[in-house]
Amino acid sequence: MSEIADTPSPSVPEGVAGTGLDIRSLGQILYLGGIGVAALGVLLWLLAQWNEGGAGEAVDSATGTITLSLGGEPPQLDSTRGTDAVSFNILGHTMEGLLRYNAENRLVGGVARDWEIGDTTATFWLRPEARWSNGEPITAHDFVFSWRKVLDPRNASEYAFILYGLKNAEAVNRGEMPLESLGVYAVDDRTLEVHLERPVPYFDKLVAFATYNPINEAFYESREGRYAADAEDLLYNGPFTIARWVHGAGIRLEKNPQYWDADRIRLNAIDYAYFTTDPNAIINLFKDNKTALAGLVAENLDDALQRRWKIKRFSDGAVFFMEFNHREDRLTRNYHLRKAIQAVNDSPELVYRIIKLPGNLPGASLFPVWLKGVDGYFRQEYPLTDPPPDDEAGRRHLALAIEELGLDGPPTLVMLIGDSPTAKKQAEYYQNLYKQKLGIDIKIDAQIFKQRLAKMTAGDFDLVMAGWGPDYDDPMTFADLFASWNENNRGRFDSPELDEAVDIARSSSDTKTRMDAMARVQQILYDEAAIVVNYERGSVYVSHPRLKGIVRRAVGTDPDYTGAWID
Amino acid sequence: MAEGTLSWERVQVEREVETVSRPSLSYWQDAWIRLKANRRALISLYLVVALLAFTVLGPFVWTVNPAAQDLDQISVPPGADRTATVAEDYTPWRGVAATPIEGGDTLLAPASVTVADQPTTTAVRLYWDAVAGAGGYRVYRNKYDPEPDGALGLPIAEILSPANVSFEDRLDLKAETYFYSVVPLDRSGGESASYTTVTADVTRVITAAEAASKGLIENASDVSPGDTVKMAFHPLGTDYLGRDMLARLMHGARVSLFIGIVAPFFFVIIGILYGSAAGFMGGRADQALMRFADFVVALPFLLFMILLRILFNVESGDSGIGPMLVAMVLLSWPAAARLVRGQILQIREEGYIGASRLLGAKTNYLVLRHMIPNTMGVILVTLTFAVPSAIFTEAFLSFIGMGVAPPTPSWGSMCNEGLKTMLTTPHELIAPAAFISITVLAFNLLGDGLRDALDARMRATE
Repeated sequence: MSEIADTPSPSVPEGVAGTGLDIRSLGQILYLGGIGVAALGVLLWLLAQWNEGGAGEAVDSATGTITLSLGGEPPQLDSTRGTDAVSFNILGHTMEGLLRYNAENRLVGGVARDWEIGDTTATFWLRPEARWSNGEPITAHDFVFSWRKVLDPRNASEYAFILYGLKNAEAVNRGEMPLESLGVYAVDDRTLEVHLERPVPYFDKLVAFATYNPINEAFYESREGRYAADAEDLLYNGPFTIARWVHGAGIRLEKNPQYWDADRIRLNAIDYAYFTTDPNAIINLFKDNKTALAGLVAENLDDALQRRWKIKRFSDGAVFFMEFNHREDRLTRNYHLRKAIQAVNDSPELVYRIIKLPGNLPGASLFPVWLKGVDGYFRQEYPLTDPPPDDEAGRRHLALAIEELGLDGPPTLVMLIGDSPTAKKQAEYYQNLYKQKLGIDIKIDAQIFKQRLAKMTAGDFDLVMAGWGPDYDDPMTFADLFASWNENNRGRFDSPELDEAVDIARSSSDTKTRMDAMARVQQILYDEAAIVVNYERGSVYVSHPRLKGIVRRAVGTDPDYTGAWID
Repeated sequence: MAEGTLSWERVQVEREVETVSRPSLSYWQDAWIRLKANRRALISLYLVVALLAFTVLGPFVWTVNPAAQDLDQISVPPGADRTATVAEDYTPWRGVAATPIEGGDTLLAPASVTVADQPTTTAVRLYWDAVAGAGGYRVYRNKYDPEPDGALGLPIAEILSPANVSFEDRLDLKAETYFYSVVPLDRSGGESASYTTVTADVTRVITAAEAASKGLIENASDVSPGDTVKMAFHPLGTDYLGRDMLARLMHGARVSLFIGIVAPFFFVIIGILYGSAAGFMGGRADQALMRFADFVVALPFLLFMILLRILFNVESGDSGIGPMLVAMVLLSWPAAARLVRGQILQIREEGYIGASRLLGAKTNYLVLRHMIPNTMGVILVTLTFAVPSAIFTEAFLSFIGMGVAPPTPSWGSMCNEGLKTMLTTPHELIAPAAFISITVLAFNLLGDGLRDALDARMRATE
């Protein structure tokens, strides 16, 4: 500002009378404005200093504390009702289920010491040393209580379906059977017996999911409906407890002395001192040594290179795709219209020219490359051939579609997207691509997350840019997404062959048979052009050089600091 | 009484006194002279005319499609080098396979890393010697030399198989020098401390077919691989999707200036009618009308805008220009109405109005001869000040995403998009922001000059 204020004022031209705002006074205004802005700046800086008084350095080795930023206030820490990544992350650090993933991403015992999974039953033997943060032992009853709670129709848990492998679970969840008929029983305090509806070969992977966490019944009832509303309304059994929760401002986790494996935990405290999703704010906090980890976006990669940061990458396991609306009244129900759009799709161009972030992979199949198949990786065992874009074929299919639908020309379609800048950029890219190659006009309907979900559920779209992240480490977490009975099949894709393949994949106990069936699902989705897969998401991030042992993973708590330490 | 001696003579009137030294000036001529003397206002007037020409005639001169995406030139600043070499069509690369070598505990760096073929903006192909005991490899790319501190840069890929010792990089390649480093990974994915770096000087390439389809050359057969062609010219650079900034600014100006001129025109007319009615009638009618105007002033614009969007059934993918225009016209007239009413009330009491009335002037004559010319200054000034504020409102609403729908550009939405890449490619923000600033300033200074020039009382001071 001072530079503008110092500019010499040009003299007022003679003979111009009564010029209301002469230049000299303009200079004065600028000068005063400059002082005002400077004063405001100082005030804001002071405020910022005062505000940040509570948060320390990114990494404090004296107290064993690390400071981090979080995407926002965790919306739901009641494990039976949580659905979002932020809540699951906090739950992953403060709670523990029967099984958990270790630093090498292998399933190891959590509360359960041993387990045995058969075709129709599964048995878990709990550790006697596992305790709640108030010192009470964790018993099989805690699991029975929380699993019934998940399926209790009055609890309206959105993740109830993940327990549908249990005997009578679906009927209980619909309110057709009493809670007590659910196939989970406490044989004694330390033995949990589970009866399954059908063989669930991946049941061990399922119980590592947060919805399967235990809840202490006595404590739950004592909170009288306030369970998980605040730090003292939760009972913890994981490596950390919530020591302080200032709503909307920060969450501080501290080491849980009652945790049965407390010796494994080397950090004393994790301070989530900033709630923000703004990539620039996140990177600035990292630059100022206020936080120990920051994700990067394409716009600040050059800056990161210039600062010579050690950049890491990982795949978060999610797949993003263009989903068509297959409902009766929609043009996109037409096979040739979908095929036309599939033919001109160019995933490499999208990933390499538009998204520009290393870590993302051009997509072809709904099944991401990291999924395990029979012996090795699923996609190496069952490759999907996705030919390069073929504009000729696209136009041929479009001509057929126009003829079949009885249209005058290429149609106008509504594309539903999220409200993030990246989503908008991609949508504009597709808008131009479809216009140039097929002459199809696209109307972009950008909505916030909740509204987009509501519109997806209501079927208020032709195309939707959607994504799916894995819940458990088995191709099944993707395979049943487009089964006709799946609530998350927002486009209502309905194919008896696909349903049949999913049925085989989810109930067979032979891995080869299951994977063959999954491969059929992959092929049907491609042949029918039920969806057009765009990319597999990855991300790049930087972390404090002294903070070691952070685990990033596709399935399970991410990022996981439970095994981290300060060097 | 003597007769016939008296002769009446016409008295000679001295006409000389009445001689006009300068030609008589009409109100408008006089105002124009005063405006011309005001250099700032005059420059602003030229600017406004230039902007209108830019908007109306510009697209006929610069016929680039503002929605066309030139994905070979994304976020290119003005004046960037745009020579490209013609290359063969892209063919997928099979890669290089190797037999995994069993080995000891420590992973060594690959003996050598080689850049296969000529590194181009289409692809950079690397292969390296297998490392004994490696379970896979990680490839890094940097724009700066990794030495001396081992800052390897972007982890561009992971090869999770020891049998593959090659990698093809296609991610956002620019015509510059890259440092590629290959680091072996152990069986559990742990990274070795040793690495081998290779540099690749990337050249910008384009295939003959692509060049022909973009209109850079007449026929694909005119050139052969190795020839150079000039990429499409973008005088103000391109945006984040490779769209021409100049064309987008011209088309964006249409929206901005359309809103900026049409909305004020309508609400000033409403304001004049309403204000003069109130001022003329006076008394209770005046009170009632002006209290209603106060009520309209109190209505929140943004809320009204959202309600109108719902009323107009504007889906999120449609343009919000219609409701924006209506909301502005419906809510912005009271300012003009108040000014005109105040002016009319004042003029009504002037002596010359009373005199004119006594001489038998009718209402029509009073309004047309006395009222309108005397309020004209106020009206024109209100109009010129309303233009920049309307342009600003449009920019603001487009900035927050309630204005135009993509791919239609407007200056406000262009600023919003440019803001995200402000630090890396500032030209995407600077150009539209400069246009908004200059336009708003020009209209403000012009309004300022007009106010002085049209003030009828100023005639007396000269």
